[in-house]
Amino acid sequence: MAAIETAALTKKFNGFVAVDGINLKIKKGELFALLGPNGAGKTTTISMLSTLLKPTSGKALVNGHDVVKEAAKVRQSIGIVFQDPSLDDQLTAMENLDIHGRLYHMAGNERRKRIREVLEMVDLADRADSIVKTFSGGMRRRLEIARGLMHSPEVLFLDEPTLGLDPQTRRHIWDYIKKLNREGVTVLLTTHYMEEADALADRVVIIDRGRIVAEGTPSSLKDSIGGDVIKISCSKPEELKKAMEKCECDITSEPRITEEGLVINVKKAEEVIPKIFDISAKNSIEVKSITYKEPSLEDVFLHYTGRAYREEEGSEKDRLKMRMRVMRGRR
Amino acid sequence: MIGDIYAIYLREMIRLKRSKVRLITTIVMPLLWLGIIGNAFNSAFQSSMKIDFISFLTPGIMVMTMAFTGTISGITTVFDREFGFLKEMLVAPVKRESVLIGKMLGGVTQSIFQGVVILILGLLMGMKLVNSPITAISGMLLTMFLVSMAFVSLGLAVASKMSSMEGFQMVMNFLIQPMVFLSGAFYPVKSLPSWLKWGVKVNPLTYGVDAMRYFSLGMNEFSIWLDLSVLVAFSFILIAIGSYAFRKS
Repeated sequence: MAAIETAALTKKFNGFVAVDGINLKIKKGELFALLGPNGAGKTTTISMLSTLLKPTSGKALVNGHDVVKEAAKVRQSIGIVFQDPSLDDQLTAMENLDIHGRLYHMAGNERRKRIREVLEMVDLADRADSIVKTFSGGMRRRLEIARGLMHSPEVLFLDEPTLGLDPQTRRHIWDYIKKLNREGVTVLLTTHYMEEADALADRVVIIDRGRIVAEGTPSSLKDSIGGDVIKISCSKPEELKKAMEKCECDITSEPRITEEGLVINVKKAEEVIPKIFDISAKNSIEVKSITYKEPSLEDVFLHYTGRAYREEEGSEKDRLKMRMRVMRGRR
Repeated sequence: MIGDIYAIYLREMIRLKRSKVRLITTIVMPLLWLGIIGNAFNSAFQSSMKIDFISFLTPGIMVMTMAFTGTISGITTVFDREFGFLKEMLVAPVKRESVLIGKMLGGVTQSIFQGVVILILGLLMGMKLVNSPITAISGMLLTMFLVSMAFVSLGLAVASKMSSMEGFQMVMNFLIQPMVFLSGAFYPVKSLPSWLKWGVKVNPLTYGVDAMRYFSLGMNEFSIWLDLSVLVAFSFILIAIGSYAFRKS
């Protein structure tokens, strides 16, 4: 049985189609990312899967339960970390978790045991009795993740888990996510950060304007648009070009000579670069510099949508959200 | 179900315990009313009525405070919505009704608690109970419960229509204040000009104040059955509106 399965899942708001017939199949234990620009329909998808919104049409099963007909069962079996903070900042970390445990019908001793476990997992055990108001943004996120895990859900939803956090804190959060996934929790995370999906996910679905445009592992997605790009600046580019054409390496398209030097598309740059050195040494060609670039998920997005990634569109809203978070931290 | 309600209620109680500033400010205003206005009018009032003004005023101030506190605590659901905690409750395997009842009981507890504090302040300042303490206290608790329920629900109904805390001041100034002023909390309604009397009579809060005076002082303008019937009806209507609005939002 899949952890999450959807069939033609669709959500319309007054005629605007936010999610347009999405089919997903997420296996148990997978770390799965929904990647897309802001407004692509990620949060709407998560809201439907977590029973906060009713689908307009289509079907979704979470842990085998229908999100419409068996909402209570779905809720009991999932944990969710919302995009916007949802802790009670007048309560202590412990109290937030305790109330959560009660809402998920956990017995008293089970609650106490689990509070210790989840707080230790996110390194907040020493702050159990501090009021959340005094927590930094990163600590709040960690506490929210701990709370999402409190009732040992089979699936954890993370909606933009590192939005507005500094790079160092972001890495820490990534470590926690990887850790809990290793412990067997299925994770569905949404992000509009390419590098986040790349660093974390087993499998990625790229969505744009409510539709799935690509699906696969991060590396298979990148491979699908044709390998790495190597640029060589050298004394005799013509000669090197001829030599390279004869060599037995996975060149994916014909080498070109540009102003920057010789450009070669290959499957795996790290295997080809040593050969370039050998060949140029044999032909006494002087290599001045070699650079290579892996295609990023950004290139994948560009490839499948024909548009550059619309990071800009969301940035205004994100800045506002970030500012609000900072203000809340001060309150 | 009971456990769920208790979880929501527990959170409200922890928040109440933490918000000392809110508790103190809601007690300071009634204290000023009783201490200054109560004493200032005491001698003038006593010569025209058979009762001292502190005794007369205390039930009125109790009702006033409960109307304010009840409405405010209903409105705090807006905070939950703005600061996201409502989502945490809505995504939990808990019925919407449990969330609603837990929040209502939390508001009612807070409101009754403040009413009792004012009663104690009034008694310390010389308020005299006419009825036996048991009758007085049980009757007043019943009245306080009905008044609190009504205003917490009113707060919930208002809150679900409000998108920010800005509307809050408006509700207080244009709805709750006039109700308090027209309730006979501060003056006897017997000798009012007829246009004003009309305003007092259509105001449900009047019957709350009247019931409080009946149970504590044994004086009443209307029959106690009328008082209680109006209060019960008023509470039920507002609970219906409040819970409908809450479920809709």
